[in-house]
Amino acid sequence: MAAPANTAKEAALLRPITGVRPGLILGSLVTGALAGLLFFSWGYQIKNDIGVAGINRPVFWGFYITNFVFWIGISHAGTLISAILRVTSAEWRRPVTRCAEAITVFALTIGGLFPLIHLGRPWLFWFMIPFPNSRGLWPNFRSPLVWDMMAIGTYLTGSVLYLLLPLLPDMAILRDRAMAETPASLKARLFSFMALGWRGTTQQWHSLEAGIKVMAVIIIPVAVSVHTIVSWDFSMTLAPMWHSTIFGPYFVVGAIYSGIGVLMVAMYLLRRGLGLQEYLNDKVFNNLGLLFVAFTVIWTYFTAAEHITVWYGHEPSEMAVFWERVSGDYALVFWGMILVNTVIPLAVLSFRWGRKPFATAVVGFGVLIGMWIERFLIVVGTLRLPRMEFTVGTYSPSWVELGILVGSFGMFAMLYFLFVQFAPIVSLWEVREGDHIAGSAAASPEPVTEEAVR
Amino acid sequence: MTDPGWTHAAFAKPSDAQDALERLAEAGVAASEIEVRSSIPLGHEVCPVGPQVHSRVPLMAVLGGLMGGTIAILLVTLTSRAYPLPTGGMPIVPLPTAGVITFEGLALGAILCTVATVFFECRLPRLDVPAGPFDRMLADGSIVIAVRSDRVPSQWAAKATATAPTESQ
Repeated sequence: MAAPANTAKEAALLRPITGVRPGLILGSLVTGALAGLLFFSWGYQIKNDIGVAGINRPVFWGFYITNFVFWIGISHAGTLISAILRVTSAEWRRPVTRCAEAITVFALTIGGLFPLIHLGRPWLFWFMIPFPNSRGLWPNFRSPLVWDMMAIGTYLTGSVLYLLLPLLPDMAILRDRAMAETPASLKARLFSFMALGWRGTTQQWHSLEAGIKVMAVIIIPVAVSVHTIVSWDFSMTLAPMWHSTIFGPYFVVGAIYSGIGVLMVAMYLLRRGLGLQEYLNDKVFNNLGLLFVAFTVIWTYFTAAEHITVWYGHEPSEMAVFWERVSGDYALVFWGMILVNTVIPLAVLSFRWGRKPFATAVVGFGVLIGMWIERFLIVVGTLRLPRMEFTVGTYSPSWVELGILVGSFGMFAMLYFLFVQFAPIVSLWEVREGDHIAGSAAASPEPVTEEAVR
Repeated sequence: MTDPGWTHAAFAKPSDAQDALERLAEAGVAASEIEVRSSIPLGHEVCPVGPQVHSRVPLMAVLGGLMGGTIAILLVTLTSRAYPLPTGGMPIVPLPTAGVITFEGLALGAILCTVATVFFECRLPRLDVPAGPFDRMLADGSIVIAVRSDRVPSQWAAKATATAPTESQ
């Protein structure tokens, strides 16, 4: 009797790890160069001070805070979606979870950089850490910025561990294969280290499954708290169109919405680039597409509620920001946002023919652009028109800010390229477990029905 | 007592492994003398007969959460009172803002305790674990059962893909 035939199905998945894929290496280099642009631009800013950025009175938060909110939102793609699917035992989650969890870790890492970039003097970031300075002063825990630090720190810690825990059994699989084939190789040693001695005993599986379930339950409220707190950076002020009670859920919904968008794009590229059609199949895209439609409707509802309430109240300073968006300087980008965030997703993904891999990826890409615009309109749209009219100002980003924006996308892609070459982007053991459950269900006898009992 | 040798058998299907475990139970082999390894969680479907495996992860998560939340609220309270900032008559430690930090501390404590408990129960990290005889087959999806060699009944591994007595354990 031969061993189970998992190896044939897994060959495509493991090819980037066990072999050399020139496309992946080239991709890593190109995106690495873009990531270099981020650090070059940031280095230039550190050397020449924050004045090289386009931010100025009254727009003190420009691209940097827009990018911060955007990337923290993207991070909701992974851990939150993965945790929700795990808690609800959605079987189709199995090929999706790791793609998603990796997105969270990388997006959070990048998002966390932006407050440091915005700080101008990043070496002073430790003022936010709960540690007394030379005058015995501790951080002001009443400040939403300290809440940000705590929330993002917790979410990043949780997300990294939530990614690494389920990775242990896969690293053991890679270790055992590498040790059998090339025991002295660097990869074999690396996989041995990363597996941490995992052996797959009954007790280990039981503890790991219990740990993953508990982590999934904890990480959901943490993820919600992160973007709620990010929204409170804005809504705790009295600025026009920021001081809103629904900003917390509005931001959380927007975060999950943009998260699903980037997940669909990433999954489509992985499917095409690595030949993972067997894992990331049409059913997965169909289900994600349905989830996406639901979030399109929820996001549209929140956006409408936010604007209709302001319009009905007709408070002059709020209306100045409102008209600027709807028919003023930012009307084009505002209605463009509505087009890519509401009209196109509903027009395409509401129908089964639209929930195909390519279509969902295109729609997801559009939503990414739309959600970035949404964050820009919230941040800059309000700051340009503060309550005191004599401080009305304009904002246009400098090449440093543009370089950092482009570089952040490059860094995200580079981290993803590197991760794909280091670990299975689809969880081997979870997919195997799914196959086993499906096989057991198919082999089991018909369930006893009420009629049979009679 | 000398270090006993173990006999390993690899099974392609969980049902075959289950049959082998049932034969071991019929022969009176205790669960402590059997080790089952697999590349997927088999749960109670394929499990050595005897005391079931258990985990204290949920309990430790709750305790970790309580500990983290307590530390966070102490941090906010004690540090704010150590150097009171002028607040214009408002409380030095307002509960709504302290609540945010407390929640994050609670979650962080629960997460760290969960992971620490998983590692403790799994006896990880262990970087000096010797390779087993069927690790490669295990990686390909087989289920490996190891039994203390002096307790191996005849024909217990009748449906095994491979068997090997070893001194590796």
